[in-house]
Amino acid sequence: MAAETAKQTSSLRHLRSAARRLFAQVSIYIAFALLLAIAEIASPAFLSGSNISNMLQQVAPLGIVVIGQTLVIVVRGLDLSVGSVMATAAVAATAFNGLDSDVFPIIGVSLLIGLGTGLANGLLITKRSVPPFLATLAMWIVLEGCRYAYNGGAPSGNVPAFFRVIGAGSFHGIPYNILIMAAIAAVFVVILHVSTFGRRVFLVGGNPVMARLVGIRVDRVVIASYVLSGLLAATAGLVLSGFVGLVDNFVGRGFELDSIVAAVLGGVALSGGRGTILGALVGAAILVAITNAVLLLGLPIQFQLIIKGIVIVIAAALHVRTAAAP
Amino acid sequence: MKGFASILPGSTIGWRATRSAILPVIVLIALLLIIGVSVSDRFGTARNLWNVYEQSTGLALVSLGQTLVILTGGIDLSVGSMISLLSELISGSIDGDASLVLPVLVGVIMLGALLGAINGACIVLLRVHPLIVTLGTGATLQGLTLLYSSHPPGKVPDGFDEIAYGRLFDIPMGASVAVLLVLLTALFLRYAPFGRYIFAVGGDESAARLMGLPLDRVIVFAYGFSGFCCALTAIFLVARFGVGQPYAGYNFTLGSITPVVIGGTLLSGGKGGVLGTLLGVYLLGLLYNVLNYVGIPTDWQLLVQGLVVILAVSIYVQKRKVI
Amino acid sequence: MLRLKQISKSFPGVQALSHVDFEVDAGEIHALVGENGAGKSTLTKIIAGAYQPDAGRIELDGAAVRWDSPGDAKRRGIHVIYQELVLFPQLSVAENIFIGNERRRATGAIDYRRTRAEASDILKRLGAELDPRMRVGEFSVANQQMVEIARALVQNVKLLVLDEPTAVISSREVVQLFKRLRALRAEGVAIVYISHRLDEVFELSDRVTVLKDGALIGTQATAAMTRDRLISMMVGRDLAHLFPPKRPRQPDRAVVLSTNSLTIAERVTDASIELRAGEITGLAGLVGAGRSELAFAIFGALPIASGTMTVGGAEHRSMTPARAIALGIGLVTEDRKAQGLAMLLDVAANVSASSLAEFTSYGLLTRREERAVAQKAIRDYGIACRGPRTDVATMSGGNLQKVIVARWARTCRSVLILDEPTRGVDIGAKQEIYRIMHDLADAGIAILMISSELPEIVGMADRAIVMREGRIVGEVSGDAISEEVILGMATRDVPAAA
Repeated sequence: MAAETAKQTSSLRHLRSAARRLFAQVSIYIAFALLLAIAEIASPAFLSGSNISNMLQQVAPLGIVVIGQTLVIVVRGLDLSVGSVMATAAVAATAFNGLDSDVFPIIGVSLLIGLGTGLANGLLITKRSVPPFLATLAMWIVLEGCRYAYNGGAPSGNVPAFFRVIGAGSFHGIPYNILIMAAIAAVFVVILHVSTFGRRVFLVGGNPVMARLVGIRVDRVVIASYVLSGLLAATAGLVLSGFVGLVDNFVGRGFELDSIVAAVLGGVALSGGRGTILGALVGAAILVAITNAVLLLGLPIQFQLIIKGIVIVIAAALHVRTAAAP
Repeated sequence: MKGFASILPGSTIGWRATRSAILPVIVLIALLLIIGVSVSDRFGTARNLWNVYEQSTGLALVSLGQTLVILTGGIDLSVGSMISLLSELISGSIDGDASLVLPVLVGVIMLGALLGAINGACIVLLRVHPLIVTLGTGATLQGLTLLYSSHPPGKVPDGFDEIAYGRLFDIPMGASVAVLLVLLTALFLRYAPFGRYIFAVGGDESAARLMGLPLDRVIVFAYGFSGFCCALTAIFLVARFGVGQPYAGYNFTLGSITPVVIGGTLLSGGKGGVLGTLLGVYLLGLLYNVLNYVGIPTDWQLLVQGLVVILAVSIYVQKRKVI
Repeated sequence: MLRLKQISKSFPGVQALSHVDFEVDAGEIHALVGENGAGKSTLTKIIAGAYQPDAGRIELDGAAVRWDSPGDAKRRGIHVIYQELVLFPQLSVAENIFIGNERRRATGAIDYRRTRAEASDILKRLGAELDPRMRVGEFSVANQQMVEIARALVQNVKLLVLDEPTAVISSREVVQLFKRLRALRAEGVAIVYISHRLDEVFELSDRVTVLKDGALIGTQATAAMTRDRLISMMVGRDLAHLFPPKRPRQPDRAVVLSTNSLTIAERVTDASIELRAGEITGLAGLVGAGRSELAFAIFGALPIASGTMTVGGAEHRSMTPARAIALGIGLVTEDRKAQGLAMLLDVAANVSASSLAEFTSYGLLTRREERAVAQKAIRDYGIACRGPRTDVATMSGGNLQKVIVARWARTCRSVLILDEPTRGVDIGAKQEIYRIMHDLADAGIAILMISSELPEIVGMADRAIVMREGRIVGEVSGDAISEEVILGMATRDVPAAA
């Protein structure tokens, strides 16, 4: 009798946990669809071709950053330096002569900046036990200091035409930057969800103690994650600088908050070990849709920041509620 | 002396425990003084040193609140935006009318405490990590600040700058008020049961809950106190610059954490104290002052500040739990 | 004084207590015994006010009561000293004793002089020589326990519950503790004493209650009870069939791993042991003796301060988990969920965790193979689950343990260390785990089994090594292994006080 009840409660538990997982995965898509519907009703211009294209352009750089942020959050960390990496890469883009022949050196320098920052972050976090938010925040300042030391707060130079095409142009109606983002996303879906390295990332993020005790080199996995995040942020910086077209010390401002909000919206757990790249990209789309809707509704632009702040707290609170283990 | 020693950071009831916590900071301060004096004659003058003391007021105030928050095992990333918002509200509301000074200041202080308490309430009620809550409220507050910025910035009446620059017998009063506040807080943390609970909550939250300690009230209080300190910082900044600014508090978010870490307070909470933070503030103030005299070009100063932060946090590593 | 009637309590999937009656009078020491999982800790938490019973009633001094929180129970004078200490490591001893109950001056400020003085006083009366000004975290577990007891004693105590209080303290401290408990009894305090140490039960208690599988087996005056009767009430089954039949002794087995004067900072001193192929070596000792630390060091999870270890002929001054695994060593940790499992993943991922390289092709994970391997393990070890994709978070303790063993069975070639392998595991799974251990030993693997359950050591080990306070204090093999011998070596031999 007891055995039967035990089996019943066990089946119930399985059912409940499967249902909860399904709901968690599907809910973001539902939320996204609802959001689009509401925005369209509130402001009929929302789903127009030009606005959609506009929003896609905005999603691209954020999407690239979000991919890296997802990796870092899954490994139980946080990368607050991404905005500064983007800005520094953008400055690098204008540091040369503005000619297309400079494209390779620019990409080289930018990726080096991303790599170096990621390495610094990873080392501070693993070798010096600095909490991720503090290490990456400190690197944020260091990079800003580097930019300031480099151009004294007065940026100059031109972005080569190549980047301007990539950043703002389209291929048969599809923006180049979206294609780049999609390609990067495809690669990273494989890296995070199909490769063995990705499995190690989930193991480390889910239970770092256990990961170490099964022979995983936890430090290397963590450092690799931050390096990848840095590289992606640098790439996003180049794409964004192409989109903006002119030189700017503050390209990328706010992307650290945006990428975290997008990831949390997309179901990536801040406690580590859980999340998908696809979900995070949907989260980025939701965020862009929200900020876009704010403008279309005629609200002042500052409302974007206000709403982002509220959204992340609510999204995180909902996670806490739905993440209860079966 | 024993009684005094007992309120120093890291003290249980004994001088022995205190020494290890703040001795390095004192040594570094002494070192900086020596370096400074040897680099430039103008460094060691009373004028210069009182200046450093005076300019440290803002950081000292906001770091005081941050210390309490960190002691509970949390973090307040909203301090920067809170200071910006409150500074704009001060100058915008007073707008040159001297009779409004007192009510506005009182109102802003209460608002700061309230906003901080809201942070604490979100953490307690929603059970979201303080990092995310304060990141979110920080963004929201910055948005509100920028919204408010579209109104004219207002101004403060003459004499308001006395708060920042006033001196009695050449001793800066604003900075001394900050020191007084730090001392009072230290006494509170030591002698009030509620103050001890702050350490308990940060030390072991589940034990605190099992012991029936008022966990929720402690957390709301710590963040409310941080908001209160942000208000005081905002007052000081407005007194210094004559007007509130939309990014007045920008650098204080990371800036308020560094002195706390240097002063011996653990980021995981439960251990440390406000006197160490104050010494950390002076250490940093002296450091930037010395770097100035050493001749670092202005363009490079931000970078140097960033590197100092990195150095500070990477030195104060906590013992890694091996298993 | 306190009467629990027909108490029942269940959790998802488990009936922790059913219709249990329990009572304790003022001026009585009432022992509560039972195996792991019998329901003792659930009952304790109900008494403490941390859990609410699903059914039944609680009466205090004849009146029906209901606690809404532990604070409620404490206010009525009911204090529980748990095994997991509830202390604040960064605060001083004196502060820990009086937290929530501070000694204040008229102004409301804490009176540290009184705090210090009263703390010294109560500690002295408990026979604990601790400087009340020092941080509690700097003391040994035994002393920390004294602090907790002191904290309960400075409050108004009507009922004191102690959960395994002597698991970590030395014989001398046990003597002091018993003296104090008897004194409290004389003052009219009711005491509930939970322990696995049957000797202590017989020495100290007036009555003893036995729980098994959530039910009350019986309550009797200790004087009328015998040790054998008590054990049979606790276990209620023929112990002989729990363990597989002892394997024939083979004297000259090869040594696969040896440690040479291994020292681990503050935990283990000068430990030299030998593990032989195909042999099950039991590692016994009190909690805190350093057994887990020795295991972690062998596996490379804790740094070696001095000494070396020799594996497969090569000497090592340091070790890492990755290298240990490469050398064919495996470690089943004591704390399954915190250290041994990826609770967010499924069975297949947990089984493959230490051998990921085998499931990698061009850097990508071959999940089909992973699932096939997991499926085979599910069959071989009898793991009750719905297949390789089952989330481990839904599985029971015994099955989780099997998953972990299955993982290590894949990579283990030389040594498998198991730390408390059957803790929190039901009887059926226990038997299967013992069988698995024998199978692995038969295959030539050296097994090191750390256990606090003496019957387990006696029933399974070919050789038993005993540790005490960080050192190896003895070794017995074959028929010489018995509970008395091991316990005698594990605790200091001091005659119990009258």
